[in-house]
Amino acid sequence: MEFQSVLALFWLIAGGVSFYFSIGNARVWTSIAVGFFLILLGEIIPGAMPFLPGLDNAYVLAMGHIIGTISILVMSHGFQEYYVFTRTLDFEGSKRFVYLSVLGVIAASLVFLLINPTPTEEVRKVIRIVENTNWVFLSLINIDLIRKIYLNVKDTPISNGFIAFMVVFACIFLWKGSQLYIDVFNLEMIKDTFPLRYEISFWCKNIGNVLASITVGGTFLYLGKLLR
Amino acid sequence: MILLPRGNPVKENIDPGKVDLAGALGKMRQGKFTGYLRFDFPDGTGVFIYQEGRLISALYQSERENLIAYDGIARTFAESLAGSGVLNIYRLSTDLAYSIHALLHGEMLHKGQDLQLIDIKSLLVRMREDKSNGCLRIYSPEHIALIFYRNGNPLGFFHDGSTEIETTADSSMSVAREPGAKVDVLVTRGNIETSLADLMETADVAGLWDNALTERRRQREERESTTSRTLEMKESERRQKALALFQRSAQAHLGKLGVSLVEKEFEKMKLNGGQLNEALLSGFYGNLSKAAKLVAGPSKIELMLDEMKKGFKGLSK
Repeated sequence: MEFQSVLALFWLIAGGVSFYFSIGNARVWTSIAVGFFLILLGEIIPGAMPFLPGLDNAYVLAMGHIIGTISILVMSHGFQEYYVFTRTLDFEGSKRFVYLSVLGVIAASLVFLLINPTPTEEVRKVIRIVENTNWVFLSLINIDLIRKIYLNVKDTPISNGFIAFMVVFACIFLWKGSQLYIDVFNLEMIKDTFPLRYEISFWCKNIGNVLASITVGGTFLYLGKLLR
Repeated sequence: MILLPRGNPVKENIDPGKVDLAGALGKMRQGKFTGYLRFDFPDGTGVFIYQEGRLISALYQSERENLIAYDGIARTFAESLAGSGVLNIYRLSTDLAYSIHALLHGEMLHKGQDLQLIDIKSLLVRMREDKSNGCLRIYSPEHIALIFYRNGNPLGFFHDGSTEIETTADSSMSVAREPGAKVDVLVTRGNIETSLADLMETADVAGLWDNALTERRRQREERESTTSRTLEMKESERRQKALALFQRSAQAHLGKLGVSLVEKEFEKMKLNGGQLNEALLSGFYGNLSKAAKLVAGPSKIELMLDEMKKGFKGLSK
């Protein structure tokens, strides 16, 4: 319970900082910051605060995983936009469009859940595997993409912020990769047979989670300082 | 410098560049004008002589050239249109008009004869006996005098400094007494009245005038084009300097991405040889600031833009 509370605190800070950052900065940062903010909404509140009311609801839990998936997709899209900007120096769109699009996708996902049978635990596990698969592979892709962005903006004031993002995605990879490993091999059910693997995966997941929350909050604070 | 008697002034101190000379010459013809038009230019003098509406003589003389007839007309037209010319029109008697023709175009019977070696009185007697038509030009290093003859009789006397034809020889003959004085004797032979063609009949004066106008227009266009090219080159140089200044500033504050942003926004202004002004630059600064927000904070951007604005003001001075 204590660990969950600390985790929740870290993610609240990280989510708050990233959302605030999305408001006060250039449009291209909106997708990235909103993506990180969605981690707080979709993943951490159900996971870090199991004591909140209504969190045993199958739809709330399923939506948590779906929002988590939307989160990595939105921020990956944001980094792609940033990369395109560093190559072409062109960018377009508006912040409002980003916010509305994200809300629209979340609403459409909710409708999709509601018109289908109640997501059982087995269904939710499948959704979670889909979510974590996205996180794992897109984290790796994003690390490479951010490396390329860093090379393009190496001598600008913001450049070191992208190194911080690489660290963030390394932590997320550790966190989500461990969770995916546990789910794919159903290690929780067979932890007595493979205690070491389970223990390593479990602690990697938790440490990765904490480090991710700290690095996300720290990175956005650092970016805020660089862009002052 | 051509010395001619002024006669009776018809028009003086006209700018020939502002007159339709072909039309004016036509009017002279219609009005049966007798006299001459004198064009004074910085580098030469043009003289058109009329006798009862017939353009009997045209001359353009400068230090290097002595053009007559059509060439003289064409050149006088061209010089008139070039500006800085003065046109004076004087009416003369028919006889004097012929004499002026003789002065300008006549046969040189004696040239540069030293008056101390020649008996001027005998010369005048011989002119009368021979019933000569023409002109005696008597000149010393300081003065010049003209004596016009018609059928051996003096028509009038004229010397530099006088404004009218004089009827007495006193002033003119006083030149002959000056040390180093010389005389030129210019005569016209045969029946001059019938031998002189009307240049306006044989020449397409309107065509010559049109040619001069066309040439003048071409020269002006060429000059304008050259001026415009020079201005364009200066503006292009200013643009290049401004771009280099902005690039340096962007490199210092935003790195090479900043340089690329400057180049892109500069290109977006689509100057196409146009002038780089504050209004255009205001848009440029705005767009650059917007793009720069992706890689730098407002304080850094502000600093960079201030540097650019100050630098550009320095370029404009």
